Amino acid sequence: MLGPVPPAVVSVVAALALWQLATSVGPLANLSIPSVTETAGALVTELTSAQFYIRLWETIQMAVAGFVIAMGLAIPLGVLIGLSRFAWRSTKFTFDFFKVIPPIVIIPIVILVLGPTMQMGIFLIVFTLVFAMSIQTGLGVRDADAVLLETMRCYGMSTWKQIRYARLPSAGPYIAVGVRLSASAALVVSIVAGLIGGAPGLGKSILLSQASGDDPRTFATVFVLGVIGIAVSRVVIWTQRKAIFWMPT
Amino acid sequence: MIMTWWRRILIVLIGAWIPVTIIYAWWTLSAESANPYFPPLSLILERFTELWFSQEFVVTVFPSLRNFILGYALACLIGIVLGTLIGGSRTGIKYAEPIIDFVRSIPAVATVPIFIVIFGLDIAMRVASITVAATMPILIATIQGVRSADVVQVETARVFHLSKSQQLWRVRLPGALPLIFSGLQLGLQIAFIVTIASEFLGSGFGIGSFTLIATESFLILDAWTGVILMGLLGYLINVVFDIVERFTLRWYYGQKKIV
Repeated sequence: MLGPVPPAVVSVVAALALWQLATSVGPLANLSIPSVTETAGALVTELTSAQFYIRLWETIQMAVAGFVIAMGLAIPLGVLIGLSRFAWRSTKFTFDFFKVIPPIVIIPIVILVLGPTMQMGIFLIVFTLVFAMSIQTGLGVRDADAVLLETMRCYGMSTWKQIRYARLPSAGPYIAVGVRLSASAALVVSIVAGLIGGAPGLGKSILLSQASGDDPRTFATVFVLGVIGIAVSRVVIWTQRKAIFWMPT
Repeated sequence: MIMTWWRRILIVLIGAWIPVTIIYAWWTLSAESANPYFPPLSLILERFTELWFSQEFVVTVFPSLRNFILGYALACLIGIVLGTLIGGSRTGIKYAEPIIDFVRSIPAVATVPIFIVIFGLDIAMRVASITVAATMPILIATIQGVRSADVVQVETARVFHLSKSQQLWRVRLPGALPLIFSGLQLGLQIAFIVTIASEFLGSGFGIGSFTLIATESFLILDAWTGVILMGLLGYLINVVFDIVERFTLRWYYGQKKIV
């Protein structure tokens, strides 16, 4: 005997059935909206073409390059501004300002200067991540236990030792959270750079299939993006659990 | 600690020297600029006042703001109502979770082409994409907020025989507010991004469309003014949100201070 059907399966099947019904016999049947079967067909074609994997690889390359550069800049910078009260207050307004400005608004100028290239995508990713990550790291450094620092000072420990044994450990969990959010954001911006700026990758796939009116392919590619998004967030959470096993997530 | 007035001024001054330096450097370095992509800042500002302190502001920016406000208001309503309903029932969460998990994993901007296929380049397309994208964080935050209500408070309410609706309005929802607000803020930022994206992708009208067309026709000054205006709008909506949040959650911050 099979056990009861898991709710997840029920709701996914129900959603797909609703979509299929609405687009084949239902209210949306007369519009040119792709049904489940059409989308699935396009999905199979897409997943069996070499082109798809090249585009996927380009998206990943762009995301990883932007992510690594942004972390390489932001974590040291964050530690520096976190260590000095003057630096923290000096940068606060500027960093907060650029942190809340959505990267999408600068795309027109970035396309003008860099063109629809991979460098353009990488620049956008770095711009998106670097301010938030610096602030996050700085907050962690500043959160170090005051009593601990005071004690270290009394025992005449060097500034470097204070950083090494009090500041950095306190910044660890903050950095971990920032890295997790940054990884997901890097992937999103990598796709947006293609979709709006014409940079290589899966975003550009959607742009092209939309321009040529290949609606099932547009739907299939967006579907794939959802699956990739879930996969990335799972992988990042899993890696983090292994890497910093002492921290509850 | 009570801050003296000169201390406050000092903090503002310390925060101001970097922006002032950046703008001064931009101004002087671009003054003689022959690079077509980086025109002198003075010309950009001149064009900025010419464009956005005129009728053009109403024609170009109002449609964007209308879509943004409409889409965001719908998202707040749907997110909070649906989130309260789903969060209130254990089975509801089990069934809704996989669907929510999937939709939230699609980059918000990438859903715009889907809505273009369904609605064409209509206003409905723009509002629908803004609404769906902004609903997700609000929905998720509301579900979490309603579920993580303080056990002691809920039990106390039950002991005093508060009705189900009283429990919801007096205990669960107020307790969930801080979390809901974090969802509302994320939703606000996403709503703004998708507003612009829907104009970049399905051109027609609005500030995003204006800027992209300026870029494509090499009207560099216009493109810069568009980018600067969008950046300022993106910043301003966050400032307004912070003020509203601070005002609404006064009791919560007060509570935290006491604890």
